[in-house]
Amino acid sequence: MKTVSARLWNRLSSINLTVALCLLLTMDLVWGYFCLNRRTALFTPLNDLGLIPWAQTYGSHNLLATGWFFLLLTLLALLAVNTFTCTTSRVAQLLRAKGPGGWQRLALRLAPHVMHYGLIVILAGYLCSYLFTQVLTSSTLTPGSHLSLPGSGSQVQLLAVEPEYYQGERLAFWKNEVIALRARLLLSDNTGQREAILSCNRPVRFQGYSLHLIDFAPKSLNGMKMKTRIDLHVRKDPGVALYLAGMALFSLGLILYFYQWIVHREAHR
Amino acid sequence: MSMITSHTAFQFAAVLYALALAAALAPGKRSLPVNLPLAAAIGCNLLAVGLRCHQAWPMLPMHLGPVALPLCLGLFYPLAARNCEPSQRRPAQRILLAVIVLLTALALCFPKDFYLPFLKSKTLLAHGFLWFGVVGKACFILSAVWAANALLPCQPSHAISAMGRSHRWAALGFSLWTASMFSGELWSYLGWGTPVVWEDPALTLTMAAWFFYGCLLHLHLTRSWSQTHRALYASLGGLVMLTLTCLPDLGPFRIPFGL
Repeated sequence: MKTVSARLWNRLSSINLTVALCLLLTMDLVWGYFCLNRRTALFTPLNDLGLIPWAQTYGSHNLLATGWFFLLLTLLALLAVNTFTCTTSRVAQLLRAKGPGGWQRLALRLAPHVMHYGLIVILAGYLCSYLFTQVLTSSTLTPGSHLSLPGSGSQVQLLAVEPEYYQGERLAFWKNEVIALRARLLLSDNTGQREAILSCNRPVRFQGYSLHLIDFAPKSLNGMKMKTRIDLHVRKDPGVALYLAGMALFSLGLILYFYQWIVHREAHR
Repeated sequence: MSMITSHTAFQFAAVLYALALAAALAPGKRSLPVNLPLAAAIGCNLLAVGLRCHQAWPMLPMHLGPVALPLCLGLFYPLAARNCEPSQRRPAQRILLAVIVLLTALALCFPKDFYLPFLKSKTLLAHGFLWFGVVGKACFILSAVWAANALLPCQPSHAISAMGRSHRWAALGFSLWTASMFSGELWSYLGWGTPVVWEDPALTLTMAAWFFYGCLLHLHLTRSWSQTHRALYASLGGLVMLTLTCLPDLGPFRIPFGL
């Protein structure tokens, strides 16, 4: 039994499998580009519905256009297993044969493995995100109106929208258009109230939800007068922390790897 | 007052890059006939990119990649073949100039610069996404150029040294490409609440290039393929992959020097 599991572990941790998977992923994603380019509308609901409901509806009923995506998921799962087994084997070897140079040298030698673990954490974060995210799409607020956050007994109220119009000459096409927008929100829960500023690339986090500004009106001083409003995407995404941690881990490994490369090059001069 | 436009500056750059390539292909070993038009071409290209950025700042100029990529390659030209023997340097420089001319021709024939910038691109992450990606792609092209150089008939030691250079450029490109992807994912998360926006098909090609070069780095490190096979993968495969990544930035055909 032990030999079977050891053999399976060795097969799964093979570098040849990594190469094959990377090549298959490359080809699959190129195929995906052409499918996505032709049938973009099929994939747009993926972020709002989550993976399972999307796969049961859009995904399974349009397999010619979505087949590449299911293959992508399978290949990524295999890659995650391959990366984990391969990296763990190498890390175990490194830890057993620590050799001279102490912890600093060991940390540098672990750099590529830190990147590999980072990749696994990123993939786990994405999976978590696509499986468990709660989304409230197209929540529109006008000044004074409220939005209730489900399951938290909390409310978000839009206090005011503060647009800044472009008045310069350089961006002729942007004259009198909104160049920056600040939406003042009042966030209320059982513990009290606080104000927060929401803008285009600055979401507001509240009660585990993140509020993102998707659209707003009016966009211009000229043209049709529209009622002041902001459109929000409200998401409760448990995968965010994981994929951000994965990115940080991958970046740390990359920095260590380059540091080691420079040190190694200097030593060989 | 008539002013030079970004498009005109890029047209000048294209002509000057072509002149530099013609001079590089001509017999003779003088470098001035190549370097002079090349320096002027880089100047014009820099002006073209600068004008496009100036016309969009603080937002991101749309589809700047095809115009900025030849500039990055031009700026890398002196570094690309530094500290190597003339027998290796000249073919590498010729291939690099040929790639630059091909890229400028593609950018002129299929421009997609008619889109206006959008408000959400007013963040450093968006600019990081663009510039890390462009410089990363330039490194990938240099990796492909050196791999092609290793395939030319030469001494085995030259081929090994050329593949070493190809590997270094690929590693640098991979790091920058990763930085570009992370910037894009963070920007996407802050702006839209999700790290992957499925409305943009270009993301699949970005990921494809990441896996392609991840595979190349594994092949280099493990030496699991022969050197010739790795060189073929990095040169021909690399050029196909990089051409594909340029597709989303190319628009409909336009006569390059039409009025």
